[in-house]
Amino acid sequence: MFKHLGIVGAGTMGRGIAQLAALSKIDVQLYDVNETILRRAIERIKADLRKMINLGNLPHEEFSATLERIRTRTSLPDLGHCDCIIESVIEDIRVKKDLFKHLDANTKSTAVLASTTSSLSITSIAAMTRNPERVIGLHFFHPVNTAVLVEVVKGYKTNTETLDRAIEWVKLLGKYPITVKDTPGFIASRISLPLFSEALRLLGENVAYAEQIDNIVKKIGGFSTGPFETLDEMGIDSALAETESLYDQSYGEPRLRPHPILKQMVESGLLGKKSAKGFFNYEEMK
Amino acid sequence: MKKNKKKPEKNTKTTAKVTEASSKSTRKEVPRTPSLLTKKHDLQKVEVPRSQESYKSDKALVYLVGEAPMVEQYAELCIAHGYDVCVSWNEPLTKKQNTLSPGIIISSTVPENISVAIELTNIDVLTKKKNLEKLAKALPETAPILSSSITITATEQSAWIAGKHRLVGIAALPTFIDKPLVEVAPTIYTPMETLEVVSRFFLTLGKEIEIVQDRVGMVLPRILCQVINEAAFAITEDIAAPDDIDKALTLGMHFPLGPIEWAEQIGLDQVYAVLKALHTDLQEERYRIAPILKQMALTGVWWKQSSTH
Repeated sequence: MFKHLGIVGAGTMGRGIAQLAALSKIDVQLYDVNETILRRAIERIKADLRKMINLGNLPHEEFSATLERIRTRTSLPDLGHCDCIIESVIEDIRVKKDLFKHLDANTKSTAVLASTTSSLSITSIAAMTRNPERVIGLHFFHPVNTAVLVEVVKGYKTNTETLDRAIEWVKLLGKYPITVKDTPGFIASRISLPLFSEALRLLGENVAYAEQIDNIVKKIGGFSTGPFETLDEMGIDSALAETESLYDQSYGEPRLRPHPILKQMVESGLLGKKSAKGFFNYEEMK
Repeated sequence: MKKNKKKPEKNTKTTAKVTEASSKSTRKEVPRTPSLLTKKHDLQKVEVPRSQESYKSDKALVYLVGEAPMVEQYAELCIAHGYDVCVSWNEPLTKKQNTLSPGIIISSTVPENISVAIELTNIDVLTKKKNLEKLAKALPETAPILSSSITITATEQSAWIAGKHRLVGIAALPTFIDKPLVEVAPTIYTPMETLEVVSRFFLTLGKEIEIVQDRVGMVLPRILCQVINEAAFAITEDIAAPDDIDKALTLGMHFPLGPIEWAEQIGLDQVYAVLKALHTDLQEERYRIAPILKQMALTGVWWKQSSTH
């Protein structure tokens, strides 16, 4: 049984996983580069826990016990005793590679090293370590406290022991693990990609308008949101960056090709909800 | 014969429903096909053509022909909404399979007093052609012919028949008929009159329509079949187990159904027919069919939910 979980990066994902772990009675070392980020993360966790108490989802006396399980750290070697370290720093392959090099040197050799990357190759990240067998991907979904799925991503060299332990960790956190191979987009993003790419092609070919396509996908397909609403929600720039990354990693697989409409929109400053204009207009809502 | 005599306005049940919803059918999107751009019509005057008196009923008669599951689903829907229904299948059915509601007439000869005809064949295009030729000969000039147009465009179908103005494409796949919306694709010959009758017909069935361009796969069948194809590629490449794929999409991406289960519900032969048509029509590598999907479609095998455990 493992007791100690290390988390690197106290952003939305890192903080969310720390909270999940603490609620599952696991001791967490939460690392980030400075105290300010960590303090902010703890404040957000406190607010979340209070919300849970108000909703009756958490007994009052669990509040401080849960918080005490999370220790904040600003020095990586402090995570040395952890049985599993989950990284959730920014989605940049250079940053991640550099971090794993440090983690490799500063942790015990039996620890599982996991990355929460949604679109980068686990095999590339693992290549920076002396023991790539213990590197694995744990792709959590947003919002991390309610989304039950976790893709457990096997890198080229990840061994079965690491896989089994990672699956056990995911279950400890109350999530549903599925095992996938390290391929561009893993499973969920890759298979849902045609929902967006075909919708964009239909729009590009003038088969139907964006509103119509969303309406059809919702009313006949039974989806709760249409592809264009979803793209506006996630940000057109993020969507473009993600599809470009998948396309590059696959060396130009035609099914993963990004659509020029996305690029034109980004270049025109139509980034979706955050810029008040994307496929739809959100100006009135501001 | 009293063939040409119009039915008295006695039964106004279906007509009334239509009028109430007709304001909705004035869409801001103008369908961009030549025959639709030329003239405008008074929508209030349009109604589903009535059956003629020679037929012993005061209801409008719908004739359905095509693949059995879709014909059955449409037949039940039409009879439930106050139409007389007459059906015919591409393949003869055994008595056991035939569980139609009483009142639905089975007849391979097309009656001459039809109000609306619906052709529901996606897989066998030659049979579809024969069905449409038969319908075009038997139907009056005023009766619209709705034809599933996801594996071959409605405009290409209209080349087979005389009286092209009657033909309108629809996206018909098993399970789609339960939904509150129908994709409708006018051909380059479809005039506004026909389109409005079609729109009214669907309104009487309690459905909205979305008018889209006449292309292979239309909107949802194209998107959905490509999602299923991608899932089949992932299985072929052994990226994840079939059950895990469905879990990933429903739990991770909020899909109402996983692609494997969805394919099973629609029918793999249907999915394969749509993908094959997309690949033939668009001639692009991205529409290449996953080998395992093709093999399983041709042999009638597919994963049932949880069969892999």
